[in-house]
Amino acid sequence: MGARGGVAVTVRARTAIACGCARCHDCGLIARLSGVVHARARCPRCGASLHLRKVRSLERTWALVIAAVTCYVPANVLPVMTVTSLGKQESDTILSGVLYFLVHGDWPLALVIFTASIVVPLAKLVTLTGLLISVHRGSSWRPADRTRLYRVTELIGRWSMVDIYVVTILVALVRLGNLATIEAGTGAVFFGAVVVLTMLAAETFDPRLIWDRSEGRTAT
Amino acid sequence: MSDPSSERDEAEAVPEAEVETRRRPSIVWLIPVVAALVGAFVAYRALSARGPSIVIRFETAEGLEAGKTQIKYKDVEVGVVEDVALAPDLSGVICHASMVKDAEPWLTEGTRFWVVKPRIAGGQVSGLGTLFSGSYIGVDPVREGRPVRSFRGVETPPVVTMREPGREFVLRSERGGAVEMGAPVLFRGITVGRVVSSELDATDDFVTTRIFVRAPYDLRVHAATRFWNASGIDVSMGANGVRLATQSLVSILIGGVAFETPAGAPEEAVGADAVFPLYASQSDAEERHFTHTVPYLLYFDESVRGLAIGAPVEFRGIKVGEVADVRLEFDRKAARFRIPVLVEIEPERFTDPNASDAERRATIDRLVAAGLRAQLKTGNLVTGQLIVALDMFPSARPAQVVWNAPVPEFPTVPAPLQEITANLTQLVQRLGKLPVEQIGAELRDSLAALRMTLEGTHDVGPALKTTLAEANQTLGSANALIGPDSGMDTELRRTLFELSEAARSLGLAAEQIQTQPQSLLFGKKGSQ
Repeated sequence: MGARGGVAVTVRARTAIACGCARCHDCGLIARLSGVVHARARCPRCGASLHLRKVRSLERTWALVIAAVTCYVPANVLPVMTVTSLGKQESDTILSGVLYFLVHGDWPLALVIFTASIVVPLAKLVTLTGLLISVHRGSSWRPADRTRLYRVTELIGRWSMVDIYVVTILVALVRLGNLATIEAGTGAVFFGAVVVLTMLAAETFDPRLIWDRSEGRTAT
Repeated sequence: MSDPSSERDEAEAVPEAEVETRRRPSIVWLIPVVAALVGAFVAYRALSARGPSIVIRFETAEGLEAGKTQIKYKDVEVGVVEDVALAPDLSGVICHASMVKDAEPWLTEGTRFWVVKPRIAGGQVSGLGTLFSGSYIGVDPVREGRPVRSFRGVETPPVVTMREPGREFVLRSERGGAVEMGAPVLFRGITVGRVVSSELDATDDFVTTRIFVRAPYDLRVHAATRFWNASGIDVSMGANGVRLATQSLVSILIGGVAFETPAGAPEEAVGADAVFPLYASQSDAEERHFTHTVPYLLYFDESVRGLAIGAPVEFRGIKVGEVADVRLEFDRKAARFRIPVLVEIEPERFTDPNASDAERRATIDRLVAAGLRAQLKTGNLVTGQLIVALDMFPSARPAQVVWNAPVPEFPTVPAPLQEITANLTQLVQRLGKLPVEQIGAELRDSLAALRMTLEGTHDVGPALKTTLAEANQTLGSANALIGPDSGMDTELRRTLFELSEAARSLGLAAEQIQTQPQSLLFGKKGSQ
């Protein structure tokens, strides 16, 4: 746990896979799983399915990342929020909202929205894609840094939902009839999809693959 | 497990499993596929809803905002302004707008665009909603016509939209009055339409006013319908007192056009290019029931002071026309001034409206032969206004209507006042000829003689007194002589009795002679 990446790379670490063992996700029992890679294995104690690495991690992550990228385009092009105030209708996309705050001098708010809604999802998608490519290529470049990157990605994932939360709260709160009404736009749905898909992608990605490749093992 | 040799043994003891590599794609790939499909669908919908792009040119971009200002028809959004830019020659603004797909069929040359903003015009307040929502572009779609993509926005919203059922009429007037665009068109006090436009003709001084009358009221307009300017208050003073006519409060404030079809007029349909006259007032319109006027020229020798253009021409107090023009003419040959007065007679007032011109002339010739003449008369003693009166003057000198003149000349007679004046002048002239001084001298002499005579009678007085006393005495004695107790009286009575007896016997004798005339010769029969 506390070991720095640099230390782990230098020594031939005794990993579970190296010992032909797998740790049960549910009860923590370590069971021997020599050679049985694709067959179905069960934990002898609790009956949960056992595998050395997350099942088809790369494939699934790729699928989710591609889906997220697909959704990212309409999420930024379509309006996230439509404000109807005194008969005047205004639709805002994420970027136009940021620009609105920036023009009106609210640059801290603009910065928050820009970071949470544009930088973070984009960064996640780029990071995940980069990790996937590096794993595929069997890169042994700075596995510890890459793992840290992955951890950050997983951590900040949920924070990009801020935008969705704001829209949801506004839609629920601002129901003043003709005075002002706020409606969620189609862009919000896509944006939510991007956030959820990237979170799922981060979840399905197995960071242990980074180390497997750097140690010359093949992916499973 | 940490021992390498035991590890190797175990590996050798356990045979390698047959690994079946199934490369069926994971179900997880459905997610990007679905995402792509949904994205594609949204993109398709956005693209398919995108209609044609149009260009509208406005005078000013007041109230127009790129990306915000909508184009609405009947409050339904049919497009949005995407870009507002100055025209290259700075004469206006060019506004690019993207329309919805459904707008395609009616983007024709007849379609009009205007900016809807709060307005108070034509007696109505419009576009109040835009105070809060901001301006939008209104559109009056027209399906018929050549499709175009470039439009010139109108500055004021059209009063009548193309779809409104009804009909447009064209009115012409010499004075535009105060008929503003958007002013109401009134029929018996009810607003039945609007004034669409009011503009001065480029070539002449007429004002052409276009009005729109909504269905079904447009059927109330016939060929004989009269339109008048119902602006403000029409106050007229007549013999019946002050008359005040207004149409509605709105028309007092902003004017309007009212119309009415005269009772009994034929209900002919209005022609496609009919142009109606727009009268200045209701009374004006009512007066001009007889549109057919015949001009006549009247020559007057007397002063026409007080004869205004528009003064009535009356026949025994009934208006039959009016004075159109008064001029002064110098007759070089006769070396005298003549004043031709041009009058417009409405012959329909006293002849059959269906009569032909020839028949009408014959009628007028007959009337003139019978003594019909024109005369100047004082219409108002206070203001001294003159009217032209037609009347029968059987004793007038015979005259005829000169038909072959450019304008028929109608015979006139001098005004009654002028006649009196002329007679008075003659009288005065005659009086002037009298030898007044001679008469005066003779009169003075006669009077002096008379006075002398009267003075002479002073001496006669005393003599006359004695004469009278004597006469009195004489009468007294005469009275005594013939008084009732005098002997003379008795004598006189007896004499009178005998005289009557004699008269009676004489009567008998006369009768006798009449019945038996022979008795004069042979005597009375009885005596034989």
